[in-house]
Amino acid sequence: MDPQKTILVVDDASLVRLYYRTALEGAGFHVVEAMNGLEALEKLLILPVHLLVVDINMPHMDGLTFLEAVRRKNRELASIPALVTSTESAAADFAAARAAGANYYLVKPIDQAKLVQFAGMLCGVPR
Amino acid sequence: MVFGEAKRYYVERRVLERMSATGSGTFASYFTRLRTDAQGEIEQFVNAFTVNETYFYREDHQLKCLTTDLLTERIRQKRKGDAVRIWCAPCSTGEEPYSVAMWLLENWPLVDEYEIEIIGSDIDTAVLEIARAGIYGKRALMRLAPHLIEKYFAPLGAENWQIVDDLRTSVQFSAANIVELAQTRPYGQFDVIFCRNVLIYFDDASRRVAAENLFENLLPGGFICLGHTESMSRISPLFEVRRFADAIVYQRPAAGST
Repeated sequence: MDPQKTILVVDDASLVRLYYRTALEGAGFHVVEAMNGLEALEKLLILPVHLLVVDINMPHMDGLTFLEAVRRKNRELASIPALVTSTESAAADFAAARAAGANYYLVKPIDQAKLVQFAGMLCGVPR
Repeated sequence: MVFGEAKRYYVERRVLERMSATGSGTFASYFTRLRTDAQGEIEQFVNAFTVNETYFYREDHQLKCLTTDLLTERIRQKRKGDAVRIWCAPCSTGEEPYSVAMWLLENWPLVDEYEIEIIGSDIDTAVLEIARAGIYGKRALMRLAPHLIEKYFAPLGAENWQIVDDLRTSVQFSAANIVELAQTRPYGQFDVIFCRNVLIYFDDASRRVAAENLFENLLPGGFICLGHTESMSRISPLFEVRRFADAIVYQRPAAGST
């Protein structure tokens, strides 16, 4: 049995956090939430996290700034895989996310089954 | 609100309740209290008269219509990430706006593609407090499948359940009297308004004022859902009636149409 993986969902919309949370919890992941990049950085200081699911447009600290900050941390934090989620779908947006340190990028709307599948892949626990 | 002779018993019951709650021995002493608004009695009095009988997923055919037809039509003119605004007025103790949020999570796969804003308003400030707390008994949950209760509620003692935090914070609650334009106007314009089972309690003049106010609160092309026994066609000619597979809904004509 795999130990349970913890996923940090970062999105400013509580409805969206709940939408992702119910999907991921239904697949056996443990989910913690943050409503912007600043809160997410704080969560990373106190909790072991195996995957970041990060929206881009958020108040106080957007997702890409957050990812850049994470990638500059110590190796343990900097190597947490990150799945970026956004309604933006231009090539420039993909490139910016890649440059900030994203491991994968899903364009909203994201099917719940697809989210679970990609979360499993990035955590190394196939679902 | 207008109560005819047939509602005499209902009115008497509420007045007696308030007399008893305020320790007024006679109607005269209670009436003085009411007229002078001692200790905010007017608000308490209004609260006692508003009807707060509701439950989750009530009239769910309209919720089905919301995701199958209404939002599909509304988002045609939107871009990804745009706001989708829904107003439940009145919202009573919150079952309806929370039902809308739950229904969207369960049945609208675009829930993360738009910025969904759900607002619940009511004239009765006491029910808004209950709505914000999001704590419900068995009766309110009777229509919900067990897996929905497990997903969106946390048990609170043996008899109650509380809406999970993320759902609670996804709905905003605030006071508004839909007959007062000064109170409805600040809410701006919505894609869909649920105004169920309240206009039946108004007299003709108030009904018309409410309909005109709500018309202003709709985006061009926006929809309003009434209770299943109510008809906007009897109240106001401003709206177009639309028949969808699951519900009859009234629409503010889109800009440019006649």
